[in-house]
Formats: sequence, C-alpha cells, structure tokens
Amino acid sequence: MTERPTDNQKLDESIVDLTAGKPSETAVDGLNPKGQEFSKIMNKALAGYKVTSGGRGDMPSVLIQKDDLTAIAGMCKKDLGMDMLHCLFAVDYEDYLEINYVLFSIQNDQKLLLKIHLPAEKPRVSTLEHLWISANWYERETRDLFGVEFDGSSDLSPLLLFDGFEGNPGLRSFPLHDYEEW
Amino acid sequence: MTTEEAFETIDMMLNMGPQHPATHGVFRMMLTVDGEKVIDVTPHIGYLHRGSEKLAENENYGQVITLFDRLDYVSNLNNELIFCRAVESLMAVDVPARAQYIRVILAELNRLASHLLFIGTYAIDLGAMTPIMYGFRERERIENLFESVTGARMMHNFIRIGGVKEDVPVDFMQRTREVLDRVEHGVAELDRLLTFNEVFLARTQGVGKIDAAMAISCGLTGPSLRASGVPYDVRKDDTYEIYRNLNYKVPIGENGDCWDRYYMRVLECNESIAMIRQCLEQIEKGPVIAEIRRIVRPPKGEVYVHGENPRGDIGVFLVSDGSDKPYRVKVRPPSFCNLVALRPMMKEAYIADAVSILGSLDIVLGEVDR
Repeated sequence: MTERPTDNQKLDESIVDLTAGKPSETAVDGLNPKGQEFSKIMNKALAGYKVTSGGRGDMPSVLIQKDDLTAIAGMCKKDLGMDMLHCLFAVDYEDYLEINYVLFSIQNDQKLLLKIHLPAEKPRVSTLEHLWISANWYERETRDLFGVEFDGSSDLSPLLLFDGFEGNPGLRSFPLHDYEEW
Repeated sequence: MTTEEAFETIDMMLNMGPQHPATHGVFRMMLTVDGEKVIDVTPHIGYLHRGSEKLAENENYGQVITLFDRLDYVSNLNNELIFCRAVESLMAVDVPARAQYIRVILAELNRLASHLLFIGTYAIDLGAMTPIMYGFRERERIENLFESVTGARMMHNFIRIGGVKEDVPVDFMQRTREVLDRVEHGVAELDRLLTFNEVFLARTQGVGKIDAAMAISCGLTGPSLRASGVPYDVRKDDTYEIYRNLNYKVPIGENGDCWDRYYMRVLECNESIAMIRQCLEQIEKGPVIAEIRRIVRPPKGEVYVHGENPRGDIGVFLVSDGSDKPYRVKVRPPSFCNLVALRPMMKEAYIADAVSILGSLDIVLGEVDR
C-alpha cells in the first residue's frame, strides 16, 4: 500500500522557498555580555567541560556526563547560588534522550542549562529532589511522558497520566492517533 | 481500656475534588487531617491533560499559537506572546515597534482581566458573593475591547510570529482610555470593599505562610513569590518587548501569607493600568508585522524564552529541526510550579484554610495539566 501524501507534503510542494528570517545571529552563537561573563565563571567551575551558548542571550549551556550530575548540580546550587530549578524536561532525539535542567539564580539573575544524554532503552538518572523541592514534580512528569526512571526519588507515582496507562506519550514513537483509548 | 487510649486521635484522609467548586477546575487533593489540623496534602493533577506539547509537535508554527491559547485560558494573549517570542528569538526577527506596543497593551489588559477574575473568585472561595459581580463587570469591559480588536472574547489567536494579525481599530486608543478610567475606578471600589474587610483579614492574614527560601526552592514565581518579599519580575529583570520604555513599580510583599498574595495582585492591577496609559502615549504609527513568510521554518537550533504571565514566570523551550513544525515544545507553566508550593503552605493549617490557601495561588488547571 502506498502512503498517501500528508497535507504537509502537499504544502511542501506548493511553496518553494520557505526559509524565513535572516541567518540567526543571536540564536546560535551569540551570548550577550552578561551571558559571556557568566560563561567564563562556568568554564572555571566546570574544568573539562565545554560551555556553549544555549541559544539565548544570557544562558550558557553545558553537556555533562550522567554520573557527574549530582555533584555538578550540587556545586551549582551551593557555590553559584542557583537557588531555583526553573525547569526540567526531556527531548526525545530517538537515538538518545536529552534531559535538560534549567537552573536559575534569583540573587545573581543568572541562568544555566545543564544537559545530559541518556540511552533510549531504559533511561535512568539520579534524582535532584534533595536539592530543589520542585524537582519531584518535574521528574514525575518526565517519567510519565518519557519513561525516564529517577533513582532515589521518594515518589514516582504517575502525575499527569492515570494509573495503569501504558506507554510514554511524550516519545516520538508514540502514535498521535490510532491508539486504544481507555 | 484506659482513658488515654479512649481519646487517642487517628489521622483521617479527607478527599477534596475533583468536583469541588473551590478547586477552580478538575483538581483533587487528599488531605491528611488530625482533627481540624491538616498534617499533609497530596495534590492529584492530570484530569485535564490533553497532551498539548505532543500536539504541538504535529502542527505548523502558526497553528501552535492556538494550542497556547488553551493553556492558561484566562490570560490567552500572554501565552500567545511567549510562544511567538520564542519563535522570533530562534529566527532572529525584529518585531516592529508598533506591534510590540500593541502586544504589551493587550498583554497588560489581559493581566488586568485575569487579576480581576482572581479577586472575584477568591472572595467567593472565602464566602463573599458580591466582589465577583464587581470583578466581572470590569472584566466584561476588557473582554469587549478584546472582541473589537481580535474578534473573539477568548482564544484570540491574534498575536502572530513577527507581530500581530492586524492593526487595531481606529477608535481603539480612545476606547481603551475610557475602559481604563472605568476599570481603575472598579479596582479602587473592589479594594475598598474587600482588602481591609475584617472577616477577609481574619481568613487570610497569617494563613498559608511561606518564606522566601522555601518559595524559591519550590519554584514559586509571579505575584505569589513577590508576596514573600523576593523582588523578581521578568519584565524588569530580563526585560522584553518594550517594557524597558515603561515606568512602573513592582509591588513587593512582606509576610508571604494569603493576604499578601491577594494584595500583590490588586497593586499589580494599578501598575498595569499605568503601563497601558504610558503605552497609549508612546505608540506611533507603523507596520504591525515583520515581513516574513506565512509558514515559517526557523533554522535548526533550540531556545529557552521566559516571560511574566499573570500567574508567574512562564518558560518555553523550543527545538527546531529546520522544518515547518517544531521538533519539541516544552512549556514551563507557572501554575504547575506554584502548585508544588501547596504542600509546605498547607502544613499546620486548618481544614477551613485549605480553600483559602489554594485560592490564593490562583491556579488554572488548563495550564497545570496541559
């Protein structure tokens, strides 16, 4: 059976050049002065890791090893005053899962994006619940939608999904339609 | 059996919601109570989970705006604004000045409408029926204004990537001035009626206290965080659009109790009115949307943008793979994070105060569950 062209493919054919906007300067490699200053501090604090732009003016991002997560996050909280876990979420790149931690310091008004890569099969990482209370709900949400297990968490019961829901709807492999509703 | 054993109390589980008028939607909390005291609370959410983030991965960028309308459904324009800003940041689009002013005017009007709704419903939670009539009367004027601009009272889909859909009607500035005068009067009236009412004070002062360190650890943001004395406002600290041109104060509380959280919002209403008036003075003629394609394809990359919603700090993380659909959209909804703070706030509170504390957080379940 041949696949029917989706609406989107039709759209692709009808409009030739859709590339919009100039090549992005601020979005890709530009940290603003505030971000660069903080990036220097981070480079010193995280010797051995490459601190890059997080795609936004004042937020450097750094990809770290999974095993270093607890130590680095603890260091960020204690030494750099990152007192708020602004957000925690997963991005499914199909070969691997990327977990992003947006750390935020209210006192110094600094932001940092910590990234870790996890295998797509049985992703596991340790919890950050002991550092920030808000981590628990984010972790439960990430477990619901992406199936990431957080070791050492006090409570990993489903948050957004109902008890007994099978599958992880956040994953790209989860079908948008044609799944059995309860 | 000795007398002591006979009078021993045991903890009782008390279920509140999901069909409870004071939970503002489908929210359920399990209270563990010892007599009248709440020992612990377990919030249950997810009844309204529609998978907005997943749906957004299967829509064009322009279509995602409509999904954002339905997150925080009492401040739609603020939500549209944050998504459009994320896409613009990824594409490095310069938004025309007039469009930025229109966006800020609409966003602040929506903040006003949202806070007026909060004041009314919070009074209902505490047993006062009159203020919601006052609140809705003023909110209705703003909704009418929105209808004249966007064609819809809610779910506007008006803010577009690169600007706004179209210019405002010719009489918009004049009508907004009139509405602001009336609303200012209405807010003052509500303030007189409710704020220092003795019963209201008794129900809210010293209830649901949370200190700054705990609030930050829970991820509390917006007026609820400022009530605990933390002077953090995204509009000031990480300024966007044309907020830098406006002169306004950020109200800061002291005690972090329910009354402070309520009063921050009353004060913010007045600040919003002042901001819109300045915008109406400063706005100039010009284009209202940048010249970009209707179907946009941002370059590969990722961006995290945040802004100040009526409920707190909303964040959007956007990953683009260069196609016309976002690869991943993650929303950091302020209500979701504010709800984490419910547990520490409820410790050692009375059952009667549970409604007061939940109401003071001003959650919107569409945003909590997504």
